[in-house]
Amino acid sequence: MSAKNISLEYANSIMYDLQKAFWDERGKGARFRVTTVGREYFRDKGLAQLKADSVAEIVDGIGNILKDEGIVADVVHEQDDRLLRLTVHGCLHRDIERRFVAKGVEPFTCVPANLVVMALEEALEHPVELAEIKVENGSCELLLVLFDTRQTP
Amino acid sequence: MSEMYTLAEATMQVIQDRRSIRDYTDEPISEDDLKMILEAARQAPSGENAQPWRFVIVRDPEARQRLGAIAAGGSGRRFTAEFVTKKMHDRFAGLQDEAKRKAVFDKLTSGNVSAFLANAPLSIVVCGKKDVWDMPYDTSAAIENMLLMVTGLGLGACWVIAPCIDMRDEERLKDLLHVPEGFKVISIVAVGHPTRPHRPRPRMALDELVFDEEWGNPYYEEEA
Repeated sequence: MSAKNISLEYANSIMYDLQKAFWDERGKGARFRVTTVGREYFRDKGLAQLKADSVAEIVDGIGNILKDEGIVADVVHEQDDRLLRLTVHGCLHRDIERRFVAKGVEPFTCVPANLVVMALEEALEHPVELAEIKVENGSCELLLVLFDTRQTP
Repeated sequence: MSEMYTLAEATMQVIQDRRSIRDYTDEPISEDDLKMILEAARQAPSGENAQPWRFVIVRDPEARQRLGAIAAGGSGRRFTAEFVTKKMHDRFAGLQDEAKRKAVFDKLTSGNVSAFLANAPLSIVVCGKKDVWDMPYDTSAAIENMLLMVTGLGLGACWVIAPCIDMRDEERLKDLLHVPEGFKVISIVAVGHPTRPHRPRPRMALDELVFDEEWGNPYYEEEA
């Protein structure tokens, strides 16, 4: 079986179980332990070399790659000062969020968001925090906070 | 100590006197005191007696500044996220005084709540070996032992997780201190001489915490 033939249901159920195991082990702190999930993909795809001078270019660049890969249908963004709102339509992994919401647990990790955060931190040296993931009308509404300068060495 | 205590009373006194101290004088921690603190850690229980704890002692002012910056950066990010989603407002709903509320929010969102690490004369960075079964619990027991010994010595300490709770910050810390891949940075214990006495923080009553035979049946009657 090639990688392209892996059942999405299987992949998402495994990813859900892994995330759930993290949640059960670490509770609310789990979200901070998965901020680098997606890093291997980020490196393998050469996303660190993404040429961009603005937040909009970064988000569009990551969004286009995810669309080309068939991972999401679209990523729409809106920036209001330091708040960056992303709407991810048609994400392959949406079923994971659905399962968490059904359990009454707020989804706490999102690979597209992590990729955007990594790219912003890499290219623009903006520290970024994923503040919230909300599932609305079948899409994911992500709220990210941008910080002006790198606060850490 | 003029009063006479039984061992149990003395133990409870130390436990009850422990505070999270974030303000320190410039007075350094003596080597004798440090050794007592580390010896207390070394005597902690661990699964399979694995003793997975390792400690990096940081006194260098420049390194302390960097620890403080990592801690403040992480806290600032997390609390700002909590602020913009209004979760912080829910958490502090009971704080009615607007000025105090703003001061608390500013301290948290700026990260200043954790920046004090830079001012601690001594930081003990607690690392845990990954290749054991119970590392988080083992190292936490060692940390609590240290905090109690600190109290017994008349010093002050704070158990700080801010600089390593996020994977990204933990990686920065590991780079800074050259912690190898087989170990995880668990926490930092900041130690110093307190600038002033601290009042105890409130604790939940036992009747809220303890159940009789199964969850939900209070073991104790409600306290008056």
